[in-house]
Amino acid sequence: MKRPPQQRSRHLSETQNHEQQRCFRYDSVVCCSLLVIHFSMILLDSHNATQADDTAAGSTEVSIAGEPTTEQGGGQQDKKRREHGATIYQQSCQSCHGASGQGTREAFDRPLVGDLSISGLSKLISKTMPEDDPDACVGDNAAAVAAYIHASFYSKAARVRNRPPRIALSRLTGEQLRQSIADLFGHFMKPSVTTDARGVKADYYNGTSKKTEEKRIERIDDVIDFDFGKESPGKEIDPKSYLIHWQGSLKVNRTGRYEIVLRSTCSCMMDFGSDRRELFNNHVQSEGREEFRRSLHLTAGRAYPFEISLYQRKRKTEQPPAKISLSWVPPGGTQEVIPKRHLIPERLAGTFPLQAKLPPDDRSYGYERGTSVSRQWDQSTTESAIEFAEIAIDELYPSFRRNNRKVSDENRNQLRSFLNEIVEVAFRGKLADSTRKLYVDQQIDLSEDDGEAIRRVLLLTLKSPRFLYPTLDSDRSRSQRAANRLALVLFDSLPSDAWLVNAANKNQLQTDKQLTNAAKRMVDNYRTQAKTLAFLHEWLDLKTTEEIAKDKDKFPEFDADLVQDLRQSMDCFLEDLLESESSDFRQLLQADWSYTTKRLENYYGSAWSYADPEKGETELAPSRQDSNIHVGVLTHPLLMSNLSYHRNTSPIHRGVFLTLRTLGRVLRPPNASFTPLSPDLHPELTTRERVQLQTGEVNCQACHQQINSLGFALEQFDATGRFRSTERKKNIDTTGSYRERSGTEVNFDGARELADYLAESKDCHLAFVESAFEHFVKQPIAAFGSETAEKLTQSFRDSGFNIRELLVTIAVTASRQPLPDAKKP
Amino acid sequence: MKSTTTRRDFIRKLGISGAAANLVLTLPSLGGEASGQSKQRVVFVFSPNGVIPKHFWPDDEGEKFELKRILEPLAPFKDQLLTLRGIDNRIKGDGDGHMRGIGCLLTGVELFPGDVQGGSDTPAGWSMGISIDQHLSNKLQANTETQTRFGSLEFGVMVPDRADTWTRWSYAGPNQPVAPISDPYQMFKKLYGQVHNRAMLASVLDDLSEDFKKIERQVSNEDRRMLQQHVDLVRAVEKELQAELKQGDSPQSESETATASHAVPQLPPNVQEENDNMPQISRMQTDLLVNSLMSDFTRIATMQITNSVGNPRMRWLDIDEGHHTISHEPDSNEDAYEQLIKINTWYSEQVAYMAKKLKETPEPNGDGNMLDHTTIIWTNELGKGNSHTRNSIPFVMIGGGLGFKMGRSLNYDHQPHNRLLLSITEAMGHPEKTFGNPDYCGDGSLTGLS
Repeated sequence: MKRPPQQRSRHLSETQNHEQQRCFRYDSVVCCSLLVIHFSMILLDSHNATQADDTAAGSTEVSIAGEPTTEQGGGQQDKKRREHGATIYQQSCQSCHGASGQGTREAFDRPLVGDLSISGLSKLISKTMPEDDPDACVGDNAAAVAAYIHASFYSKAARVRNRPPRIALSRLTGEQLRQSIADLFGHFMKPSVTTDARGVKADYYNGTSKKTEEKRIERIDDVIDFDFGKESPGKEIDPKSYLIHWQGSLKVNRTGRYEIVLRSTCSCMMDFGSDRRELFNNHVQSEGREEFRRSLHLTAGRAYPFEISLYQRKRKTEQPPAKISLSWVPPGGTQEVIPKRHLIPERLAGTFPLQAKLPPDDRSYGYERGTSVSRQWDQSTTESAIEFAEIAIDELYPSFRRNNRKVSDENRNQLRSFLNEIVEVAFRGKLADSTRKLYVDQQIDLSEDDGEAIRRVLLLTLKSPRFLYPTLDSDRSRSQRAANRLALVLFDSLPSDAWLVNAANKNQLQTDKQLTNAAKRMVDNYRTQAKTLAFLHEWLDLKTTEEIAKDKDKFPEFDADLVQDLRQSMDCFLEDLLESESSDFRQLLQADWSYTTKRLENYYGSAWSYADPEKGETELAPSRQDSNIHVGVLTHPLLMSNLSYHRNTSPIHRGVFLTLRTLGRVLRPPNASFTPLSPDLHPELTTRERVQLQTGEVNCQACHQQINSLGFALEQFDATGRFRSTERKKNIDTTGSYRERSGTEVNFDGARELADYLAESKDCHLAFVESAFEHFVKQPIAAFGSETAEKLTQSFRDSGFNIRELLVTIAVTASRQPLPDAKKP
Repeated sequence: MKSTTTRRDFIRKLGISGAAANLVLTLPSLGGEASGQSKQRVVFVFSPNGVIPKHFWPDDEGEKFELKRILEPLAPFKDQLLTLRGIDNRIKGDGDGHMRGIGCLLTGVELFPGDVQGGSDTPAGWSMGISIDQHLSNKLQANTETQTRFGSLEFGVMVPDRADTWTRWSYAGPNQPVAPISDPYQMFKKLYGQVHNRAMLASVLDDLSEDFKKIERQVSNEDRRMLQQHVDLVRAVEKELQAELKQGDSPQSESETATASHAVPQLPPNVQEENDNMPQISRMQTDLLVNSLMSDFTRIATMQITNSVGNPRMRWLDIDEGHHTISHEPDSNEDAYEQLIKINTWYSEQVAYMAKKLKETPEPNGDGNMLDHTTIIWTNELGKGNSHTRNSIPFVMIGGGLGFKMGRSLNYDHQPHNRLLLSITEAMGHPEKTFGNPDYCGDGSLTGLS
């Protein structure tokens, strides 16, 4: 349902706006209408199938004088009114809107759905319908039609009634496949641990051999970036002959392609992922060979152990000055020394990053879903299986043999038990005899060579629906099914940690208490942290920040490095918040500080200076507090510049973002595609005035009344997110308002007041809970009961808006659901 | 596809390889045939630690000469054999004799300053230039008529798993050593992996669709639709693979299949890279090498047996001590002397096995056998082990790939080996003015080879 890009670009080619043509990304969202189409389609779809909100069957609606307060139930009078409405609809509306509001190709091709109340709808009909004669249906007639369509198909509640949401069978998404394979590997390693310590463990030796008595320094280095020159790296170390040994793990929070860059003028070696995987071998120092680069696809929520040895060797000839640095180019970013917060001073257990390319998943519902299969996808599962088989042959099986040296190898027993174990983890539970025979024994018998046997078994196993469809488990015990869902929801993976597998085997995941304890244990894991970060990126619409770029003439200093700092500032803030004791959702909107760097301060001004200038920070660190400039993530320049044009702000983008994502409201698609008015044609107008001019029409106002008055509140933050108080020499007007679902009108002035309102807004809380649920569970929330959203929101509120606790509740809710429809004939 | 069961069966199925593999893998096709020009191939073989000259070089020059003990295994190919005595590796600069022995052998140029210290000379890094095999590969790949799937293949036999100046002789350019593949299974994967995996997939998919049926029972009608789509996809892929494999088995292409099935060697299972398995690994690698030449996967190959200072213990010859250790013994140590002859004779046997395999294989779509179109160049890092001399580096050629006049024993008077490298590239149709250090190229390619 997502609008295909070519369609968007076609639309754009028809536009004349120069700004748009300069940069496609901004083009694609330039026109409010387009954005609305795009976003609202997402939302409408999901609501079609799923949402049950304030207007759930039988619940109260906003009432206007003399109108009934309920839409479905009600008295005889209501029924009559609806019948009356139905008659009018059939006579005057149906020819354009279709019998059940689905639209007609000739006249109005979009479904008649939305979230206006009956009264709002009634007013709109009075004013505008039918199009050729708006006066033909007014007053009571309009109210009757409104009541009829609202109850029959227009409202969310009606849609839920018409098409009850269900938990659909889903295959693993791309990310879930990556994570599952990583855990399949991890199952054979030491259990994963988390630690707050950051940096790299370093041992400095006098001389080039690792003799304990020659170890001179043992410490944690923040990063690896040294220029020792011809000097000694430390006390009592011969400057002509030494060895430095660094050990650590690289903590990766986003899945994507990374380039690892090691620079060294000395002999050096680096392994990565496991001690058997050499990344760089520069054992031989050779003049002019000083940079080593490797591009790797890394999986989020994982820590990759690594080890670097640097040798400065004494020799008869001239020694080069010693220099070494470990850098990376993160996905979409620029090259930098790997920052401390991504380094753990400990070699953690081996980790396997799948390199196979996986096709993107359907995201039309606002979250990734595995609900279709394609040739390309099938091919990618083959490639993944083969890739995993190779690492199993190279690393897992040899280590399994070492650990089971004493077990008899008669009848290829070791191979058999190794493969049996791997298939059990992949299939999430013990194997039935017939399954074992097919997947393990039969395949072993067909291959004389052990490697061949492993390849066969893993190809069959990782292409099997038993692996690819994680919830095809109606034949499993209740606890096993719960474990499968906990792992799927929190890790995007399968149960592989020994404690979880054991709990499932012992059937100890039955009660809510047991589930809650398990979920609590999992929620602090790197895997859940990474998934939560991905969710917040989604919630903040920050998936595409790699492409942010601004007009070079107007904002010459807004470059790729600055954007990289902004992304780190944002991520660091989000991670901090998630890891904090209270992980308070409201801080997302209300915090009065941010993470900053020198570069950010130079660009964004003194509110972005370090909180503690005494510390002499050079890295990312907390900024000063300033409640007008730092308004949670809402005014963060990354978000503000993402929701702007190339040269100017876009109150419409910001307003749509707030309406759809932050407040979870539905917007009707716009009447047509519009090109924004060019600022050059209206040099006297501020952005606010220009937007008002363009969207002033009655038809536009139905939505733009809401969109604009939210977006205007952020007008003090320019296209790069820099604070300003005037535009075109006029003071910026940041007053705005919002009409809640409940009908109450709220007013605010500026970002701070808006944020303070949002932090306490029921609409905002519900929207956050729903998006979180659907991101984590990848199923419509209404499929878990029409009251689930409301209940989870209540418990979220009761917990003091603790995000981690919300995740636990979500995981427990999703895990105790039995697989619906199972074993139906 | 249930019949594709054993490894043997599978390999039989890979009978498609020569012809159909190109199709399957959409590889650049066999260009040389189209032009009607005969293919030229070169294989460089390395063995370490010098030889015993007295039992290596023929006494007589010219066409009438007797083979000495070490070269005796090559007797069946005497009329296709050329020994070149008096070719010196004159490259000086950083690095010890062994390092320069291997690192400058195919490159003809100095090593960079570096920190690898060996013996009593100065330390060094990697070579400053490209090696002749990679140079030829670049030349052949630049021309669609001589282009092949890999351009060059680098085989190793028991090359230790570490990257240093002693373990590399092939260079893609300055400071760019090329690692040989010593594990035959890894090489097999490189050569036939894709076809192999497709064949395996075909044989596995049938089992998979069976299991789908069982699983379908677990789900609702609505969900079953998705599984149905999935299983249809699996069936479609299975069908295509079957058709692909059948194509290789069809009677029309029987002659091709016969040749092609010969093209995919059958590796014995579970052979570990261990000292005592060296003879077997050498066989396996040679089989893979000959077969990849036959399938025209490449026309340039190197086979590096161990490494500079290589120290295999040839227990299969009843020699318990390592080769390098023995090579330092003075000539007066009769036991060591005799052992070194035996060891070098064993290397000679490996070369002979390669020559034999090539000779037994008819040239695909051409005249004669493959040895007629291939030249094996067997060489060494040193002239003699205990003196570490790089004068009279062993250069023995077998086969007709370069078009030299064979069946001769030649003796040059201390000519730099750069001139020989120039002769090789010239014979391959790509003459150069210099190769490696120009100081040693003044007189151009060697005379008297053709």
